[in-house]
Amino acid sequence: MFKKGILRELYDSIFAKSWPMWFGGVLLAILNLLLFVIKYPWGGSGGYLNIGQNLFGSLGFDSMATGTAINMHTVAILNITIVLGALISSLFSKEFSIKIAPFGELVKGFIGGALMGIGAIVGVGCTTGGFLSGVPALSGGALFLTAGFLIGTFLAMKYILWEMEAFPNVSMGKSYTFLPGTKAGMGWQRWFAWVLLASTFYVISSYTGDGTSGMKILGWHVIIGLTLGLILQRSRFCIVRAFREPFMTGESSAPVAIMLSLLILIFGFTALKYFGVGNVAETAVRAIEMKAVYPSFWAKALIGGTIFGLGMTIAGGCAIGTLWRAGEGHIKLWMAILGFTIMAPITKAFIAPVFDSFLPKSEKIFLPDYLGYTGSVLLVLGFILLAYIFVKWNEKTGKFSAL
Amino acid sequence: MDFDQSLDCKGLSCPMPIIKLSKAIKGMEVGQVLEMQGTDPGSKTDVPAWCEKTGNEFLAVEEADGVNKFYIKKS
Repeated sequence: MFKKGILRELYDSIFAKSWPMWFGGVLLAILNLLLFVIKYPWGGSGGYLNIGQNLFGSLGFDSMATGTAINMHTVAILNITIVLGALISSLFSKEFSIKIAPFGELVKGFIGGALMGIGAIVGVGCTTGGFLSGVPALSGGALFLTAGFLIGTFLAMKYILWEMEAFPNVSMGKSYTFLPGTKAGMGWQRWFAWVLLASTFYVISSYTGDGTSGMKILGWHVIIGLTLGLILQRSRFCIVRAFREPFMTGESSAPVAIMLSLLILIFGFTALKYFGVGNVAETAVRAIEMKAVYPSFWAKALIGGTIFGLGMTIAGGCAIGTLWRAGEGHIKLWMAILGFTIMAPITKAFIAPVFDSFLPKSEKIFLPDYLGYTGSVLLVLGFILLAYIFVKWNEKTGKFSAL
Repeated sequence: MDFDQSLDCKGLSCPMPIIKLSKAIKGMEVGQVLEMQGTDPGSKTDVPAWCEKTGNEFLAVEEADGVNKFYIKKS
């Protein structure tokens, strides 16, 4: 009998089984640090906005257009390559298939996506840029955004449970599954994944330029985006899950995975900001300190976060969770992408100004300006410790869990 | 495998399969077996984890043509 080949073993260790979510959280934190240094911390909603603006611009709606083309926008590049990376990853792991949910679920995907588009623009950030990057960036607005996500998720969870009792037909009905990788004769899917992967090298090489030029930075974003897609899909890293699970099953593995990721990022971002380590183009230490600190403190963050929290829970994926599930073939999440992409530019042009007209003026609040670096880090760590105690206590007692 | 009740979660994504599973199990008698059909890759880890958390017995999973069939015995 022959032993399994070494490369085959490597392949299986990556694609045969899901990775624990905490492992994904650690790897994502490392890549987020890399993004911070190369250009700017990770975000998601800015990419949806850019793609939506380009879409509206090409249709002649000048009030919602943008000057930055999709292939020149770092976050748009990340978003597209995350979908691609997740697609390649799910093809290799035989988890890809086109999964068409019952009609009511597709509608919920679209509505959830649209709410995320509104919430992310009003609250200036999503669960990735505003929370996963924003909290470690020591942004004051990020704390209110987080509170909003919690409120929104809690309310949407109540809604979903009510819908299950009152209108069970919404999530029932005809569903379709096409091209499942586990079916006989689907061996071509792995070859297709190799072809996709090879063609990305062509895309990366098309971003040419000398040394430190912006084009090289964009090429790096293609590489990082593909890697993010792989990590997200294999570890099923899901921020909605972290916010939702305490109110649903009480399971703590998702919230703890996110906390671990935050912990790495808090020390990492703080060190980068404190020592003024930034990207090659920026020289001002202040500009580096203000990375991922958005002008949302406090009312806009709270309201936007609540709307976003409702949307992500109904859609079943946040800005980023939607992308990798779309890559895996969930059509419900493609509907969410559509809703998000349409509503983000509309909100930017028409809805956000309405909120601005009656809400108190929102500001960029960098916590160390008020509490010092030590005080700010201790404050954020304190919140995480409280969240940890709550999540673990709730897991044991089930006090807040519906299922 | 023999089962008493079947639950169709094909096409659904997180969190719907687990919510439906929880509701279906609540309506069953102790000792009865539920067959749940799903296509979300996440269910492969979610369903056994949910069973362990709730004390129901996870019997088996069968994969065919992209559809996972999970068998759960109510305890």
